[in-house]
Amino acid sequence: MATDNQNKSSYRVYLFVFFSVLLLLMTLWIVWDDEFGLRPWKKYQKEFKSLKHAQLQKEYDKAQSDFRKSGDAQTLARLEAQLKKAKDLFNSSDVQQKYKKLSGQWADIHESAARNQKELQTNRGQYLETEYYFTKTQKPEYKKKMDELQKRIDAITAKGVALQKQEESLKAALVPFTSGIADIEAEIEKLKSPLEEKKERIGTSDKVPVEIRQVYISDVDKADRCQSCHIGIDGSKQISAKQPFTRHPASFVFLKNHDPEKFGCTFCHRGQGRATTSVKKAHGNVKHWDEPMLEGDMTQTSCLKCHGDVKHLRGAEYIAQSTELIKKYGCYSCHKIPGYDAIGDVGPVLTEVGTKVNYSWAVNWLLDPKNYFATARMPKFFFTQDEAESIADYLFSMSGTTRHDVDYSTETPDEKLVEQGRSLWSQARCNLCHITNGKGGNNVKVYAPDLSKVGSKVSKEWLFRWIKDPNAYFPGTKMPRFRFTDEEIKALVEYIVSEYTDDEAAPKYTTPLEIKAESIKKGKDLIVKYGCYGCHKLQGMESMGQIAPSLVTQGITFLKADEMREKIGTELSSIGSKPVDMLDFGKLKKSISNDRLSYIKQKLRDPRGYRLGLRMPNFRLTESEINGLAAVLYGYTDNSVPSRFMVPSRQELDKMAGVQSYKFSGDFAKIIEDVKCTNCHSIKGIGADYAPDLTLAGSKLQESWIRNFLANPDVIRPLLQQMPRLGLSSGNAPAKVTMPRFNLGVQKVEDTNRSDIDVILNYFQQELVSTDIPKDIPVITTISLEEQIAKGKELYDQKGCRSCHQLGTDGGALGPNLSNVGNRLKPGFIFRHLENARKFKPDIVEPDYGFSERERIYLTNYLMTLKLNAK
Amino acid sequence: MNNQTDIKERIRKNLIWKSIFRRDYRNTVRDRAQAVFGNIFLHLHPVQVREGAVRLRFTWGMGGITFFAFIILVITGVVLMFYYHPSIEQAYSDIKDLEFQVPFGVILRNLHRWGAHFMVIVVMIHMFRVFMTGSYKAPRQFNWGIGVILLVLTFLLSFTGYLTPWDQLGFWAITVGTNMGAATPLLGYQGPFSEFLHITPFNDVRFALLGGSRVAGNALLRAYIWHCVAIPLVSVILMFVHFWRVRKDGGISKPQK
Repeated sequence: MATDNQNKSSYRVYLFVFFSVLLLLMTLWIVWDDEFGLRPWKKYQKEFKSLKHAQLQKEYDKAQSDFRKSGDAQTLARLEAQLKKAKDLFNSSDVQQKYKKLSGQWADIHESAARNQKELQTNRGQYLETEYYFTKTQKPEYKKKMDELQKRIDAITAKGVALQKQEESLKAALVPFTSGIADIEAEIEKLKSPLEEKKERIGTSDKVPVEIRQVYISDVDKADRCQSCHIGIDGSKQISAKQPFTRHPASFVFLKNHDPEKFGCTFCHRGQGRATTSVKKAHGNVKHWDEPMLEGDMTQTSCLKCHGDVKHLRGAEYIAQSTELIKKYGCYSCHKIPGYDAIGDVGPVLTEVGTKVNYSWAVNWLLDPKNYFATARMPKFFFTQDEAESIADYLFSMSGTTRHDVDYSTETPDEKLVEQGRSLWSQARCNLCHITNGKGGNNVKVYAPDLSKVGSKVSKEWLFRWIKDPNAYFPGTKMPRFRFTDEEIKALVEYIVSEYTDDEAAPKYTTPLEIKAESIKKGKDLIVKYGCYGCHKLQGMESMGQIAPSLVTQGITFLKADEMREKIGTELSSIGSKPVDMLDFGKLKKSISNDRLSYIKQKLRDPRGYRLGLRMPNFRLTESEINGLAAVLYGYTDNSVPSRFMVPSRQELDKMAGVQSYKFSGDFAKIIEDVKCTNCHSIKGIGADYAPDLTLAGSKLQESWIRNFLANPDVIRPLLQQMPRLGLSSGNAPAKVTMPRFNLGVQKVEDTNRSDIDVILNYFQQELVSTDIPKDIPVITTISLEEQIAKGKELYDQKGCRSCHQLGTDGGALGPNLSNVGNRLKPGFIFRHLENARKFKPDIVEPDYGFSERERIYLTNYLMTLKLNAK
Repeated sequence: MNNQTDIKERIRKNLIWKSIFRRDYRNTVRDRAQAVFGNIFLHLHPVQVREGAVRLRFTWGMGGITFFAFIILVITGVVLMFYYHPSIEQAYSDIKDLEFQVPFGVILRNLHRWGAHFMVIVVMIHMFRVFMTGSYKAPRQFNWGIGVILLVLTFLLSFTGYLTPWDQLGFWAITVGTNMGAATPLLGYQGPFSEFLHITPFNDVRFALLGGSRVAGNALLRAYIWHCVAIPLVSVILMFVHFWRVRKDGGISKPQK
């Protein structure tokens, strides 16, 4: 029994010991983990320090060897020998004797001067005390004492002055003993100091403590500890290209404008700024952290958080380009997106589409727009044949009662008219915007339909009406009105309809068929369901009943305003920060990764893939378009950004300042409306950057040149546009694009006796001028004009202008051709342009030569002689 | 040897030693009893226990383990309070900082979190044992009542502590939990008779719990104060009563043999 108990207790002891050791080990593990396991940045910082040490050491070693090689070392040796000699001399016994004697004297005087100074202080103190008593009591004995003290003070001061003089002279006598040594020492110091400085830098960098580095932004309680690992991110020098030690790419744009001490990192890059325990956690690639880190171009999505306008923002090129996609596809038509409220419809007006297109074409188009042409912008709605016919019935019923097609393929075209039309087609440069058979469409800023098969789509009557006045059918269209005569239009229509036909088109309703009322009703319901009115204008159809009274009597009312709800899609203004839990992954929950970005991309790729019953159509975007759009959408967040970070857009700023945005006025506005100049040109910030900016046209261009050019753009070519475009954005560089001929000057503007060209010129002279640009250049009278021109030519050759500019066919092609510049530009503009080209075009490549005023006058006079004689 | 006794003597005769231990200790029954009586911490425990009462197979030791878990939670909880602000701006980032920045923050928070789960489980097992052994019967029926209240308090501690990290889990737990309050008869505005009693969303039990009509800053502050001050205080008092009653009701229950 006793042994049993003993056995039992010894077994318990072992158990106790076992658990104690386990507990101890665990405690040690906790300590280790807390010190090292959970602090991986310590390792990085140490590694960085050793890398930096190595780099600085290398620099130091190199400086040292340079020092040795450069002969500085010999100088140093010589100086050191001199120093030794000087010191030896100084230490020799007779010099020392003299020096010691003198310095002993100096020390005595110095001491007595100090004593004197002390005595002076004591007396002054006593004087002040006495003065105090005197003012208080007014007793004469104090006055007496004061006088006495004053006398004493004067005496001591005088003594002090004498002593100081003596001291100074002794000190001066001492200087020559040591001055030689001091000079040599200073020289040695000067020689050595760059080296010493380098050595010191090693020391200071070694002393930098290993610690968490964080940027704390108090008003949003944001703590970014990224720099604990990315320690060299804002360094002045690259220490290592390896992550996490590398410098921020293009930091002269990003970090320079967004000081990391004020912005931190996660405002732009997202990620989990507070995390320090692992790379994965810090980069936010963990479950339940909705904000994974952004890198590369994708980071530009964050520009949208603060910048109201990213169009010309340096470093935001990708996102600026991607925002164009929103406009191109008209996402804002169905979704509410901030900043896209006042943009017009992306699709054409459909109120009278029945008079425009063939019924068979419309059905085919509704089934899949890409059946008609591959670059069609309209998405696929996955309608059945029946549904497509119902919608077409509804649309056709707005302007008629039948399904009808026209077929011109059986007619023989009038060859003469076709030939005339062909030449008009090329004169009007239709291909600048429209693509036909894979050609043209260079102006990507406007979206013009592919016309390769248009002859099987529209009726001749409609086409005639359209070319004659596009605004009448579709107010706000980008199609300009080319002031053709009716004869010319007829020829053009004949050419288009006969040239651009679809061989596969199968018109079914060449004999019209009456539309059924129930089909119209069904079409209306479909239109309401899918929100066609988001992109196409369908309003005002209640009054259409008068055109087709039979339909109203059949009991169908057309769409009314209250049936057209504002936006049918989800609001997108904060999609980039919507909690992942609130995104409906539906049946794809398990097959795609559950983060916001993947959700957006998948939605764009397959809009109806998440579950049945979704209505969004498929735009058949390319993968790069999907990435671009996703980047933009990801940037729409409702994260609170401190107002001090916000950069409002130009329009917002103008609105805040109460500045009216620029509007064209008078007859000129009518011409702009008609000819759509701003499709290509930018004027005062309005319009596209496809053709030259005309904001300063009045100050820049000569009247006669403009007149000639507008009347006949083919004869005098716009020299600027002959340049090969170096912009890398679009693949096909338009080698020789010229402006279309709009037949200006032929017609008179309504109610006035002025021609279009006069109106334009007048507006240029009145509005598009700058007081900054002189009308004329200063005149030099000291030398003749010929001499000035000669000097200008000399300068032209000397400064190498011809390496970029062409004269005739000679010279480089980077700058504009100057062969006809004397006819084209005004001298005042050239004069000012030579002074500061960047003032007019901030991103111009022209170098600043720093010409003097005289030189600019010479050059201007020379350039004004360069004229081609136009016939 | 002589030296050793000398040092021993010096320590034992020291004033500090004497004021803590008061008298010499000889291993006798009397002294052993005295040691328990004379110590504030030990005197809660009976001087002598029957052998059957410490049989692990009968008691499972769950009451003691619950108390042990409670002590750990109090200690870690107090330290956590140094690093935590009960405001919606800071609460979540404070929790993140505990993980990423505070020395020993991970073990600290995890001890508290897992300790809390552990306590809830253990207290239920304790209750189960008491029930199955019939230890709630007379004369222990009063203490059973106290125990039930303590169980509820433990659940409430767990519930209120759940919101403090201000994460999605806590937020929705509190949303659901308080909505249940809103649907309770006579207490919530969605419950039966609410119209009759003029109960609105602004005067019902949900409002009282949240300090408002939605889960926001006030709810967090209330949860925090209930969690760190009010409920622990009541729990400690009831625990004293509970332990006291165990002794007064005849010690830990034991097999009836």
